[in-house]
Amino acid sequence: MNTLLDIRNLGITFDTDEGPLKAVDNVSFSIRQGEVVGLVGESGCGKSVTALGLLRLIPMPPGRLTSGEVIFEGRDLLRLPTDELRSIRGRRISVIFQEPMSALSPLHRVGAQLVETLQLHLPIDKHTAWNTSADWLKRVGLPDPVAQMRAYPYQLSGGMLQRVMIAMALMLEPALIIADEPTTALDVTIQAQVLELLREMKSKDTSLLLITHDLGVVWELCDRVVVMYASRVVEEGPRRELFENPAHPYTRALLDSVLSLTGRAARLSTIEGQVPSPLAYPAGCRFAPRCPHAFARCRQEQPPLYTFSTDRHSACFLCDKNPIAQPS
Amino acid sequence: MPPLLQIRDIKTWFPITRGIFSRTIGHVRAVDGVSFDIAPGETVGLVGESGCGKTTLGRTVLGLEPRKSGEILLGGTPLWPTRHQQTLPLRRRVQMVFQDPYSSLNPRMTIQEIVTEGLLQQRLIRPRERADAAARLLQEVGMEPSVLHRYPHEFSGGQRQRISIARAIAVRPELVICDEAVSALDVSVRAQVLNLLIDLRASHNLAYLFISHDLGVIRHIASRVVVMYLGVVVETGSSSEVLDSPAHPYSRALISAVPVPFGESRKRTILKGDVPSSSNPPSGCRFRSRCPLALPECAARVPVLEPVTLGSARQVACIRKDEILAR
Repeated sequence: MNTLLDIRNLGITFDTDEGPLKAVDNVSFSIRQGEVVGLVGESGCGKSVTALGLLRLIPMPPGRLTSGEVIFEGRDLLRLPTDELRSIRGRRISVIFQEPMSALSPLHRVGAQLVETLQLHLPIDKHTAWNTSADWLKRVGLPDPVAQMRAYPYQLSGGMLQRVMIAMALMLEPALIIADEPTTALDVTIQAQVLELLREMKSKDTSLLLITHDLGVVWELCDRVVVMYASRVVEEGPRRELFENPAHPYTRALLDSVLSLTGRAARLSTIEGQVPSPLAYPAGCRFAPRCPHAFARCRQEQPPLYTFSTDRHSACFLCDKNPIAQPS
Repeated sequence: MPPLLQIRDIKTWFPITRGIFSRTIGHVRAVDGVSFDIAPGETVGLVGESGCGKTTLGRTVLGLEPRKSGEILLGGTPLWPTRHQQTLPLRRRVQMVFQDPYSSLNPRMTIQEIVTEGLLQQRLIRPRERADAAARLLQEVGMEPSVLHRYPHEFSGGQRQRISIARAIAVRPELVICDEAVSALDVSVRAQVLNLLIDLRASHNLAYLFISHDLGVIRHIASRVVVMYLGVVVETGSSSEVLDSPAHPYSRALISAVPVPFGESRKRTILKGDVPSSSNPPSGCRFRSRCPLALPECAARVPVLEPVTLGSARQVACIRKDEILAR
């Protein structure tokens, strides 16, 4: 499979009153054609900034690009002229945001917004665009698409709006869809509908970068998983391997804190302490203050990303004990 | 043991008004006839999707929403009397932890003021004992007493929720209503707060009405579950029974919809459509418009919550429950 998107050493810093805030620090990973990659982590770990940053959707200032490149179809998105980038956004890479209510304009009818998106990128007339939009709404399972297109966003429920967003993201048949917590604002039964839809839409040509904190959603949808903690990538691997045999203590702790529906442990295993503030990260490994396995070296040096195989990486000094692991 | 809390056929309706004279043209039936009990020291989980009335029910029990009809008894005493002198001692016995730790703490009060306000109000301590009482409470919820004079904005979500819990347990209540108390927290912090709630339950002999949409959390903390849909209870029973083998088609769909890691792809019931409006619920069974097992009879009469077998504590409101359980 060909690499579609290659993020190399991406670094984004926000200048705040309290000093520079490193939101994304030296993040690298890639997405292949047709692949679903999950970007996982807790709030504030930098996962959304990574995704928005690669499309240059972060306002700068206060944001600042400190390092890296994002290679998409042979071109560096971070250094592309704005008009060329615009032709990629929406057309080749589209985004599904967490809150469909605020992602759509409240003043325009749903149909008009779909038609506008199509006409902006394709040389088609309004009538064709309208029909194509209606067709896509039908494909994402909206009942009575024509009526929905005449409605304003406030007249639709959250689940229906998220379907509109998905239709909008899919209808230009982009190479990559970035979905930032697409089901977090939805109820579980509606979430199940949307996940089912994303699964059906998963095709050979379209890749999906799914940003979420919900490990259940990752398990259901993703081929590969990238775990972030405190602005850095701590582990990466194919879904099953990563879930069954996590190499980084943070991933392990995260998986341990998932609550089972079927059994009940006497006591939940917890990660002690709190996520460090991005304004004052500890010197060594950022997880060291909370890590049950931390030793002296962890508090002094930042661990490199060790490589087990092409797809399997972990940033933990424990990997030194593993003969296969190669530090980068 | 006699129940600590008895809820009898509670209805909480909100008027829908229109026009300059605010004419009432209908009602949102947020809670429409709910009954259940909570024993002393018991944790009851209240689950359902947004808009099902679970939060309104919690607020009604606490007296924050006026109810249209029904009875709430706390240890045999009716809640809530109209006279202030009578409500004050009752308020000590029921406390609440809210969902959003950012809006439920007064930003202008110090931590000490927040956690001891109830104690002073109830005259359980003298003003000069404030600092000691606050320090003791913070210790109970796993925080340093050194933070007493700081303000809520200086704390993270998890710590604020600990402060909310300290405020709730300060007056030694018998019942604490936790409305999505851990939903706003990240997984690693959520586990810490859940463990704290479990420890406090044992040390203070607390009963919880634990409202959550997260079934994993409910499974972990609650011994009994009440499932609500559009203002009514559709199923209730021990949490292991209900979550392992749900008998109402709605509970089945709700439980199967939760994405769980490690499981092989399960057979999943995907519900069609959205939850109908609670101002105009479907006739008969309220779930019938989305129910995969609905029959024509479901539209004709409202299914009653009945024990699955004679005398069983497990109750289901579905005319096809025997069929579902037999499968």
